[in-house]
Amino acid sequence: MSAPLPKRIIKETERLQNEPVPGISAEPHEENARYFDVWVDGPDGSCYEGGKFNLELFLPDDYPMCPPRIRFLTRIYHPNIDRLGRICLDVLKNNWSPALQIRTILLSIQALLGAPNPEDPLNEAVAKQWKENQPEAIKTAREWTQLYAQKK
Amino acid sequence: MSDSNSTGHSSLSPPPPGSRRSPSPGGTSVSTQIALRNMRRLEARRNMEENHYLTQKARNCNLNPPVDLRALDYVSKYDDNLVCPICRCPLVDPVLLMDCDHCFCRECIRQTWTTYSPLGPKGDCPTCRMPAKLGPRASTSKILVNILDDLVVKCPKSENGCKSEIKRGEVQDHITIYCGYAMVECKDSGCGQSVRRKDYDLGCLHYNVSCESCQQNMPKAELETHWQLQCPDRQVKCDLCSSLIYYRDREEHRKEACPAVNVPCPGAPLGCTNKSRRAHLDIHVKGCVLAKLGPVLDAQKQRMDEQESAHKLINRKLEILETGFTAMQDILSANRSGPPDNGSTETLIVPSRSRAESTATDSTRIASADDYDFPVPPSNRGSAIEPESPPTTNTTRSSTTPRTTATPRSLTSPPLRPAPQAPFPRPTDLPPPTTTDFDLASPFSTTAPGADGPYSSPLHHLLSMHESLRDEMARVSAALTELDGRHSMQILNENLRTRDEIAYLGGQVAGMGRQVHWLTSAQLQRQTPGGSAAAREVGTGASAGGGGAGGSVEGAVNAMSTAATALRGAARVVNVGGGQGSPTSPGMRRGVSEEGRTKL
Ligand SMILES: [Zn+2]
Ligand SMILES: [Zn+2]
Ligand SMILES: [Zn+2]
Ligand SMILES: [Zn+2]
Ligand SMILES: [Zn+2]
Ligand SMILES: [Zn+2]
Ligand SMILES: [Zn+2]
Repeated sequence: MSAPLPKRIIKETERLQNEPVPGISAEPHEENARYFDVWVDGPDGSCYEGGKFNLELFLPDDYPMCPPRIRFLTRIYHPNIDRLGRICLDVLKNNWSPALQIRTILLSIQALLGAPNPEDPLNEAVAKQWKENQPEAIKTAREWTQLYAQKK
Repeated sequence: MSDSNSTGHSSLSPPPPGSRRSPSPGGTSVSTQIALRNMRRLEARRNMEENHYLTQKARNCNLNPPVDLRALDYVSKYDDNLVCPICRCPLVDPVLLMDCDHCFCRECIRQTWTTYSPLGPKGDCPTCRMPAKLGPRASTSKILVNILDDLVVKCPKSENGCKSEIKRGEVQDHITIYCGYAMVECKDSGCGQSVRRKDYDLGCLHYNVSCESCQQNMPKAELETHWQLQCPDRQVKCDLCSSLIYYRDREEHRKEACPAVNVPCPGAPLGCTNKSRRAHLDIHVKGCVLAKLGPVLDAQKQRMDEQESAHKLINRKLEILETGFTAMQDILSANRSGPPDNGSTETLIVPSRSRAESTATDSTRIASADDYDFPVPPSNRGSAIEPESPPTTNTTRSSTTPRTTATPRSLTSPPLRPAPQAPFPRPTDLPPPTTTDFDLASPFSTTAPGADGPYSSPLHHLLSMHESLRDEMARVSAALTELDGRHSMQILNENLRTRDEIAYLGGQVAGMGRQVHWLTSAQLQRQTPGGSAAAREVGTGASAGGGGAGGSVEGAVNAMSTAATALRGAARVVNVGGGQGSPTSPGMRRGVSEEGRTKL
């Protein structure tokens, strides 16, 4: 990254560290300030409660004109997150706006954990299970959280 | 300078060929020929001037590229509202969008729109997602522009050594005209290289020298910077103390270490006028009384300050208590004239409540105090109905004490409750009773053992109560401050999140609105050519094509209304403002995501 870091990224990083969003942390990598190591707590009352989920976030060169790239690194059982950790969230795609920020995006992701939407699936198998036998799906999600996510 | 040049440039813009052609056909007289020649000469000169100006300008631009206002370091604090939502810097050349009035940097919104739709100056507002276009230039408030231009920034050459702090509006001028660290063309016109403006008068500095310390080769023009920032070896003799120091540490040495610099005695704030070299300072300090006194006095001052602030606090408390005291006295003296109706108040016995409960219902108790003839501190409520409560000489006391359900009428003070073990004056210490009427009004049941005699004066009662009130008050106010602090933190945290979420929700709703609009218009278009058949299709919503579209419109409308409800809910949460901040958030967050995921 030879070009100097845009002020906006510097400011967002500072704010993320000085006024962190509760339940979310994002640390830039030392050697690449556009790459963040993100931890999101599973929302209380959801089947991901008690787990800490690791994500990676990368700000492409034309950020904020295009959305950040985000991926779950921790395995998670969720109808809108596929096996590779990719996330089906409109604001990360067509509905991106440069007025959004890293913190707002991470909040939307946390909200997505709190309210899975099997009607708009990315992971068909999980979504199917979720629609046909929700209690079973929720149970699996809980088990996966216990199994893969870090304890809070 | 640029102004005069540019006007000269524009005055020559009429094309040269035209001026040459017009006189030539019939021009035979000498005067016209002379005029023609003059014209040509003038034209040639203007051309040269123009070329010179243009190249000069181009070079100047190369030497000092236009200042990037977004990369500046701001010295003055600026309001969050001045920050562009896209680049997160104070707005640069702000523009308003038509209809929604959101404000962005011209460059930022242009970039956004060319990224998404290369169609020109329109697109969606990044903040509210309404379709928008640029407002006219005049719609941007001059006040806003002035405020932005007045923000103070550091000179962009501050890393090279310029110490100026300038208004943002003047930065460009500072660089192109004044800054000693901006680059200008070398004085030697054949050289073609650049030097810092402050070195311009030193003549051409573009000959190679080697640093005498580290032997590195470089142009003379760069030597100073090299010494100042890079050279690993360069040492100079301090001209004051003649010790060898690194060149780059020169200033620091002078300020902090050089033993030959005259520094004032540490007792200077106390009046010692002695100034001695740093090296000899200890000798002076050993003998200087003022220097020795310094730390002692500092400590004293600190303690004084502490005492003063404590004193202020106590004063304030006293004031509050005095107000309460006066109010109580008023009540008492008012009651002295007319004894209360005991029969009716007997029914008003209120069982003693827990502390928290009674604080919560404080306002009601105060209100109900008006029903009583005289209010009394609530702490005695319990003891008043205790059977072992010592008998009183006055028979009315037992009937008056149960009515102790209201705090004193001084509504200005926080709820106070004297501790039951408050040191009440013993009757033996007190002068003999002055009036029996007082006992009717006595707010105390006797909790102190042996205090079975009537109290002699209301003043003594009140003084003792005062004491206990003060203790209680200190405790309550400490608890209140702590609670307040915790509460406001909570509200702050919760609101931050809610705000972000609401902005996001707003965006979602607007997006859906557009989608519905699009769907309906598509529907309408289909309807028009299809005539009545299509209309029927839409009406019934049964057939495959039309029905599908109808269904999706309906779905979108439903989604819209859900979103609106969620948004309203969120707004309500913000309005309540974290009165109970935290418990509301999870539900709301779910609302966000529900809309967040709705694919359009
Ligand atoms: Zn901007
Ligand atoms: Zn807008
Ligand atoms: Zn400068
Ligand atoms: Zn030169
Ligand atoms: Zn050197
Ligand atoms: Zn020195
Ligand atoms: Zn002295």
